[in-house]
Amino acid sequence: MKKKLTSVLAASVAMSAVLAGCGSNNDNNNAASPSASASASPSASASASASPSASASEPAKVDPFSMTVRHIQIGEPRKFRLAILNSVLDNVKKDVPEVTFELDGVEDSVNRFTKLPAEMAAGNPPKIFSLFAGAGDAQKYAKAGRLLDLTPIIDELGLKDKFLSVLDPWSVDGKVYGLPIGGNTEGVFYNKDLFAKYNLEAPTTWDALIKAADTFKKNGITPIAVGSKAGWVPNMFVNTLIGRIAGENTNAGFITGEAKWNSPDVVSAYQQYADFEKAGYFTKGELGKTYDDMLNDFIAGKAGMMFDGSWRNSAFTDQKDAEGKPAIGAALAGKVSYIALAPVPNGKGDQTAMNANYAEGYGFSADLNDSELAVVKSFIKNLYSDEMQLRGLLEDGVLPSMKLSDESLAKVTNPLLKEVLDALKNASKTFPHFDQIVQSKVYSETETQLQKLIAGKATAQQVGDAIQKVQDAENAASAK
Amino acid sequence: MPATAKKAIPHIFMLVYVVIILVPFLFVLFSSFKLDNNEITQHPFGLPKSLSFDNYKETWVKAKISVYFFNSLYLSLSSAVVGVFLASATAFALTRMKLDTPSRWIYQFVLIGMLIPGNVLFIAQYFLVRDLHILDTHWALFLPYTAGALPFSVLLLSAFMKSIPHELEEAGTVDGMGAIRMFLKIILPLSIPSLVTVFIVNFLGNWNEYLLANFFISKDSLRTLPTGMVGFRDMFQMNYALICTGIVFSVLPVLLLYMVLQRQIIEGLTAGSVKG
Amino acid sequence: MKSALKNPYIYLMFVLPTIVLYFMFFIYPTITSFYYGFTNWDGLNDKAFIGLDNFVNAFKDAEFRNSIWNNLIILLFSTCIQVPLIVIFSLLISSVKRFQGFYKTTVFMPSILSTSIIGILWGYIYNPDVGLLNSILKTFGVDTIYWLAEPKLAMFSILVTNAWQWMGFYIVLILAAILAIPKDIDEAAMIDGATGVQRAWYLTVPLIKPIINVVIMLSIAGALRVVDIVLVMTGGGPAGSTDVMASYMVNKAIKFGDYGYGSALSIIIFAIALILTALYQLLIARRQERIEY
Repeated sequence: MKKKLTSVLAASVAMSAVLAGCGSNNDNNNAASPSASASASPSASASASASPSASASEPAKVDPFSMTVRHIQIGEPRKFRLAILNSVLDNVKKDVPEVTFELDGVEDSVNRFTKLPAEMAAGNPPKIFSLFAGAGDAQKYAKAGRLLDLTPIIDELGLKDKFLSVLDPWSVDGKVYGLPIGGNTEGVFYNKDLFAKYNLEAPTTWDALIKAADTFKKNGITPIAVGSKAGWVPNMFVNTLIGRIAGENTNAGFITGEAKWNSPDVVSAYQQYADFEKAGYFTKGELGKTYDDMLNDFIAGKAGMMFDGSWRNSAFTDQKDAEGKPAIGAALAGKVSYIALAPVPNGKGDQTAMNANYAEGYGFSADLNDSELAVVKSFIKNLYSDEMQLRGLLEDGVLPSMKLSDESLAKVTNPLLKEVLDALKNASKTFPHFDQIVQSKVYSETETQLQKLIAGKATAQQVGDAIQKVQDAENAASAK
Repeated sequence: MPATAKKAIPHIFMLVYVVIILVPFLFVLFSSFKLDNNEITQHPFGLPKSLSFDNYKETWVKAKISVYFFNSLYLSLSSAVVGVFLASATAFALTRMKLDTPSRWIYQFVLIGMLIPGNVLFIAQYFLVRDLHILDTHWALFLPYTAGALPFSVLLLSAFMKSIPHELEEAGTVDGMGAIRMFLKIILPLSIPSLVTVFIVNFLGNWNEYLLANFFISKDSLRTLPTGMVGFRDMFQMNYALICTGIVFSVLPVLLLYMVLQRQIIEGLTAGSVKG
Repeated sequence: MKSALKNPYIYLMFVLPTIVLYFMFFIYPTITSFYYGFTNWDGLNDKAFIGLDNFVNAFKDAEFRNSIWNNLIILLFSTCIQVPLIVIFSLLISSVKRFQGFYKTTVFMPSILSTSIIGILWGYIYNPDVGLLNSILKTFGVDTIYWLAEPKLAMFSILVTNAWQWMGFYIVLILAAILAIPKDIDEAAMIDGATGVQRAWYLTVPLIKPIINVVIMLSIAGALRVVDIVLVMTGGGPAGSTDVMASYMVNKAIKFGDYGYGSALSIIIFAIALILTALYQLLIARRQERIEY
């Protein structure tokens, strides 16, 4: 009988061994695949030689180890950004040969609103991850002690003065916890061919914008493409409307109580959005459309305009990716223009102010061993370099977050990208999106309420009241 | 009404039903061979122009379906096997061993589990799994899957084992068999039909589980088929031909298995739900 | 000699692993859910006890009430619309001899597939631009319908998908009961001149009432369990119109970081499930006598 017992136990132990074995097997499989894909990426960056500083600080002998890199560069429109990330990781591997990277690509809002919050709560975020700036993200996690303090690394690498003054939403008490890969502004992309076809003026004035929208609508073309399945997409437009109608300083006032979501000005910004909605200016069935659907509709010529972030300009270039495939919107290369939203009649504040954000970047787990820390250092050194900033600008159309020489900036030849830079240059001042200012619960509420507004389930006033209620509660909580 | 026409009526209704079941699959199958969205919109019902397997190659490479598939397979298998084994041992002790008072208590204790809807425990299990430091490993799914199936499995197997005549063990005890041998040699073989039922119910439950798999695992290489496929859809949301190929890949093996084992699967699942 | 079956150590060995696992993953989480439910825990900072605040807020929370309502709609749809259809289709299949096996296999098929895969599949069927449904409707000149984007249609679309997945399972369940009825009862009725419909309604249906009860019971439990399909197809949108209690709870916890509140919601879901089960047992199942034949 004893014999039986041991054999039963042996069986169950064997079972668990199989389970564990399979798990580790898998790890190996996967560790191999991203490196394979990484090596397939352009090796243009090979020239950036491995500086010994990072590897020198390492222990003499390190066993091979694997690190997870959570990124959001998935899908066709973000492939140029992914190529840059892969180049950076290749460079890091030259500094720290023992490391293999496990790339974990996740859709942007899934990462920001689902994966990272859960992982932060559980205390097991990936070692390197795509992070969003502001009170709802980087600052919240930093305060909870989940993020690596980058200040010493920045000092050591001499990066302190290289960044534009964009690190505030990444900092808590003067310490930096994340770094933006670049910047963007949000404005209007429009299809020049369609505007020419219907004899329309560029939507630089409010009247021209309305006239264009009406004309498109009459001709069965969606005036403004939008994909509101994820609330952040229509929120871009709302943010700029708030800046135009209630003034560019409104956003900053929400957390101090100086501005209120249910103030007449902010409500009339929401009302403006609702009026566009009612006039049928947006994509039909927008609540079921994803962000990529929105781009797709615009590329297919189904829509005349779209309100989007400047990062989208890289979808309309004629450059090819590493595999020789064209950009997703290559057919529209040279046929798309980008401008700031036209001044809104009777809008308060500066009507030429423009939204500008440096909110997308990388953060690192506070829980790192020495070898992992060496990798993080090398990652920062390689990613936040003049070379990668310039590549980001030229290949991916992302505005630099670091100071680039005029000489470098002069390399921009893509006309659409030039328009983006011009739009920003012409802006009298800039203001950040409220998504990096307000608390995460407030931000989530803005998405929920905006979708209700779109669905016709709430009025502009109700939307303002509902958001302000959450804002009041959060402001009270943080005052404690 | 002529008798033949009358006989045809049920068939007509059933045919409509069968068409509603099958057409989505055919649509997905056809779409998976098509070049792009354009071809799908222009000829939604048509056969693909050419039988190209490009989408299949691309999907296989890009979606790591083989990895997801294998993960799902061995997780579902291992936790179903372990679950059946643990539950049958417990059911044996509860119904065949002569410690009635603890058995009654344990039975009632396990019965409580049947009242708790699975997803209610989601948050608490998430933090439990975190505290065990198994988040983002397959243990984070293996343990809840195995545990989650226990109440039902124990109840079903207890009901079955209760109905086995007691004379059998009496003969066994006369032969000098111990409890463990009695369990393995007499009761377990006799319980095979209900073991199969429990196994199938648990296996399919694990195979299809989405909620825990979505939040307890974030490494791509550890994902199971349901969550892996949702990630794949999010990644290629504009390329419907590719998504359809992914669907075909993930559905086909299950359907093949179903064709072979349909009788056991149907009987297992239905018997399981009724007796439970 | 009987002692072999009385050995407490062996008994323990048989029972302990199950009890430990069961305790860890059922009882302990239930207890901690209650504990978390009375705190304001956000997963990041220290938690503080806030008494019944979470529960009070839950009942003031219009979105949560809306999600309860949606569960109720699923429950009503599956019991009042699906169950009669299920009975009718089972009777239809039982009335034929040819293709009976084929029908049974086919209708059952969707219930072995993963809900999330079905969600992806049907999301594609419902796609406004390239989906099957609109392609068919277009040939009849119907304008584009936004199945999952229109708040009024989205819940209905999910209900249809859910029915598509599960009806076959219940049909097979009832079919088995129908086929188990002794043939002589039916034949006697036939000789008496009862029509097929009459025999089905007056003879078969009363005989299979117990199993119909089981199906209703399972449908109620199923309606409370619905969450995967919502998360995969709409994520609760558009504008919360398809949120069910469980998806709302998951979103509150994960997306908003409101783990305390989410735990309170899960306790409420648990309570609602208990109440519905108890009500059903008291009002309906108890009155039913098992029919022996």
